Amino acid sequence: MSSVVLQLFGLALLTSVLLAEHGYGNHLVIAPQSPVVEIDRPVRPENLSCVAEQENDTISPFLSCRWEVLGPQTEAVQTTYKLMVEVLLGNTYNVTTTHNRARVSLGTFPSHMELDVWVLAHNLLGTIESEHLRQDANDLVKAYPPSSVKVIAEQGFPTSLLVSWAHPIHKTIIKLTYQIRFCPHGSHTWSYLRVPHASTYDDKTSFRLQNLQPVKDYVIQVRCKCFRSNLCHWSNWSTNVTETTPEDRPTSKPDLWQISGRGKSEEVQLICKDPEFSNGRITAFGITIQYHKNGSLEREIIPVNESRADRSSNQRRVTLLKRISLADKPFVRVCVIANNSVGTSPEACLGIPAKPSEQLTVKDMKVWSQEGQMFVEWKQPNNTAVTEYVIEWVSHGKRDWQRENRSTRATVIKGVLDRFVCYNVSVYPIQFGRIWKPACLEAYLEQGAPLQGPSISKSNPAYDKAELVWGQIPLDKRRGFITNYTIFYRKEDQLLEPIHVPANITSYTLTKLSGNTKYDVWIRASTIAGSANSSHHSFSTLKYAPGMVEGIVVGVSLGFLFFVLMTILLCIYKKDLIKENLWPQIPNPGESTIGNWSPDYPLKAETPKENSVSGVCVLDVGVCEVKLGFEEDKTSLSLKKDKYLSEEHSSGIGGSSCMSSPRQSVSDSDEGPDLADSTASTVQYSSVVASSGYKGQTPSSQSQHSIFSRSESTQPLLDSEEHPDMLVQEGCRQDQHSLRQSLFTHSAENQNTIESDDVSLQGVEQHDFCPLKEDAEQTTEWDSLSAADGESTRPGSSYMPQLGGYRPQ
Amino acid sequence: MNGHVKNMHLQQLVEKAATLLCFLLLLAVDSTKTVAAGRNQECGYDLQQTLRLSRLVHKETGNLIKKYKASEGEMAELFCKASVSGIPDPNISGLEPSERIASIYTQLQVFSPHLKRVHEQQMDLQPKSPLLNLINIVRDQSRRLTLRINNIYRIFFPNLPLPEPAGGPTTLPPPQNVFQQKVYGCVVLTTYKKLLTNIFKDMRTLKSKVCRRAPASEFNFFR
Repeated sequence: MSSVVLQLFGLALLTSVLLAEHGYGNHLVIAPQSPVVEIDRPVRPENLSCVAEQENDTISPFLSCRWEVLGPQTEAVQTTYKLMVEVLLGNTYNVTTTHNRARVSLGTFPSHMELDVWVLAHNLLGTIESEHLRQDANDLVKAYPPSSVKVIAEQGFPTSLLVSWAHPIHKTIIKLTYQIRFCPHGSHTWSYLRVPHASTYDDKTSFRLQNLQPVKDYVIQVRCKCFRSNLCHWSNWSTNVTETTPEDRPTSKPDLWQISGRGKSEEVQLICKDPEFSNGRITAFGITIQYHKNGSLEREIIPVNESRADRSSNQRRVTLLKRISLADKPFVRVCVIANNSVGTSPEACLGIPAKPSEQLTVKDMKVWSQEGQMFVEWKQPNNTAVTEYVIEWVSHGKRDWQRENRSTRATVIKGVLDRFVCYNVSVYPIQFGRIWKPACLEAYLEQGAPLQGPSISKSNPAYDKAELVWGQIPLDKRRGFITNYTIFYRKEDQLLEPIHVPANITSYTLTKLSGNTKYDVWIRASTIAGSANSSHHSFSTLKYAPGMVEGIVVGVSLGFLFFVLMTILLCIYKKDLIKENLWPQIPNPGESTIGNWSPDYPLKAETPKENSVSGVCVLDVGVCEVKLGFEEDKTSLSLKKDKYLSEEHSSGIGGSSCMSSPRQSVSDSDEGPDLADSTASTVQYSSVVASSGYKGQTPSSQSQHSIFSRSESTQPLLDSEEHPDMLVQEGCRQDQHSLRQSLFTHSAENQNTIESDDVSLQGVEQHDFCPLKEDAEQTTEWDSLSAADGESTRPGSSYMPQLGGYRPQ
Repeated sequence: MNGHVKNMHLQQLVEKAATLLCFLLLLAVDSTKTVAAGRNQECGYDLQQTLRLSRLVHKETGNLIKKYKASEGEMAELFCKASVSGIPDPNISGLEPSERIASIYTQLQVFSPHLKRVHEQQMDLQPKSPLLNLINIVRDQSRRLTLRINNIYRIFFPNLPLPEPAGGPTTLPPPQNVFQQKVYGCVVLTTYKKLLTNIFKDMRTLKSKVCRRAPASEFNFFR
């Protein structure tokens, strides 16, 4: 017995120590072999609530309850909850769960019985009980929403709708109270209305909504709950029922306004919004126009056809009433009424001056955007009584306006504004219906980056600069105020320092560019919200600066001129040297002493005659022969005749020249030593290479005469003789001049001598010495011409090429 | 002198005692009123709930009878009016409210075995009929109505014990054939509905009179 008491004492002591160590028994630590586990005492369930939902025509026997557990819970040791439901005076039901909700079956729902509901939370450390929920069972019922909800619009009652419904559950089970909510169609702002209990006491299930707007769609819903307690659960809302209130006459004025050309045009368009409370479809507007103060009134009825878009739109329809001209009319007064099927609206009037005075204009107008709304602020004009203000905003041709009373100094624009669209906002002061001059500003509801960059329309490149011209971004793609432009340009993949340009400039000249270089340029337009680049544009700078070409040309010209002048001067000053080099001094054979060699004639007396004869012979063999023919007649030349006979044995030079032939013959003769004696002191002989001119002379023995033996002439060698390849060209050129000259000079001198044979002379004159082919052809011509002369002309043709190789010496 | 002073003190003491007595009397009267009001309020609530419940059971019994007749066919109207022996009397006996309430309580208890018997018979006849559920509902609600009546009796007549049903336990009819069961069921239900009608009337009368008067003078309202 004492041991049992001792054990109990020890156990109590241990328990008290544990409770003291762990917060007065809130926690218990269990440490068998596993790690230490801390257990919390069960937390008291709070906010217990239960609901029994309607099920068909009765109430479900299941009571669903939920509660909250606010506090630490040990997950390792589960807390169980026992939901207890006691039907007072009757049974008790319970269900156990580990969650914070449970559903208990009561068999049959205990209508009109009190229930006591509570929850027991239990774990290893104990059990704790929630607060008891003691309520009439019917207060826990959540009924179905009212069924068969109907809304009836009654003609003659434009501001009311009759709502009716059916009880969702029999009143013996639960007596319900009802709530109606309604709102205009499209709006989500509900108006709530509690249906008085008297309306449903005697099975009445209808209610009349009042103070509604005529011709307006209303959405209506109804719900219910038990009427006895505020703790009852509301049912869900019934489905939407939409009905339109009947029409009424317009109860407000139409909103009359005007679109003027603002001084550009004298025409004014009268526009009008439907009355705010049109109370039905506006079928027509009645307009009255008075052009003079006491003048007659023009009245007109303007019918209005409502489109489907107008019907679906929530905005007030704007109707263009009339266009009037203000020419020669300082002021026009317009009044408008709106008609619908029920009646007529009050009258709205507007006074439109032809030229609005600036006397009455609002001051310090400001427009700004904030949180998706656009605000306008202004100051009242001085010393003027303004009756109201009209705020107008225009964008892309869309126009809207709103009216503000005279005390308003700032307002928010109530229309639907788009982002990134430029609005031209105007504030019109109105004085007793008369419009005064507005103040205007441009504004954006929200700015964005431009949709596209500016378009570079033109570039005018120069040598070291280029002018860029670009167009502004179209207004609909600007999406904000352009703060500045930035010009980027690069050459050959080298990006140069960008240039910032103010927004009001649309052209710029890039300087310090390199000449003859291709540049790539693009322009960035920036707003406060972003920027957009233009497409790339390329241009090449000019190769030369203006004047550079002219300078070069002038410089080169001057240099050339200087060179020419210097050359000329050089030629002038060095004339002798040039002449000596280019045209060396060649002794005139005519003046040589051999000319005087003739045993039969005195030297001096025969010289002129010898000259004339020898000159003709140099030019033309034919002529020479003719001359020789003449001279043969001369007895004084008998010696020479003998010499001719020896010509065929002479060298080429001797055979090719009439003039030299006698001399060669002389040189070949036995009289050579004498001649040598006479001329040895003057000129040495040179070797002579036969030219092609000899080909025609001795066709049969051409090869044999291609190389000539050294002449025994005492004359100096010519260049052409020392250089056979130069013979033809040099001979041609020099002979062409010298021979021709000599031909004409000598032929003229000897005209009398050769008159008898004109044909031969003409053939000589037409002869060209240079081209061999021509020689051949003309040789043929010559043959044909000389054929008439018979045997006497043959020797002439064989001499012709030789003339080219010979010069007058 | 001393005697005079003593008289003076005594007089003052008596005055104070009288004042205190008056205050205590006022408190007592006020507390009595509060208790009466609370009791009156409790009376009204219990009676109201009992009245609603009786009306609900009456309505559900009516639904049950409709369904019962519908399930039995056209002949149901005829045999429901037949007289069957052994069915309890739907009338409420007694002159005093306590007696009438006690009678209501007794009658409800008497009908309970009959309702159970009908449920058993319908279980045999139509085991899957929705009537079974309706009969169950009526039985449950009747049981709760019985509890309500018991509660009211205890409220109004706390010192009077509820009398047990006269004649001992309810006697149920002997085994019946199918038709007899159908007739029996219908007659039990219709008779029970009559009882409920009577209960509803009594409760309404009780509520209208008892809960407006003092409890002491309310017991002659049935007369």
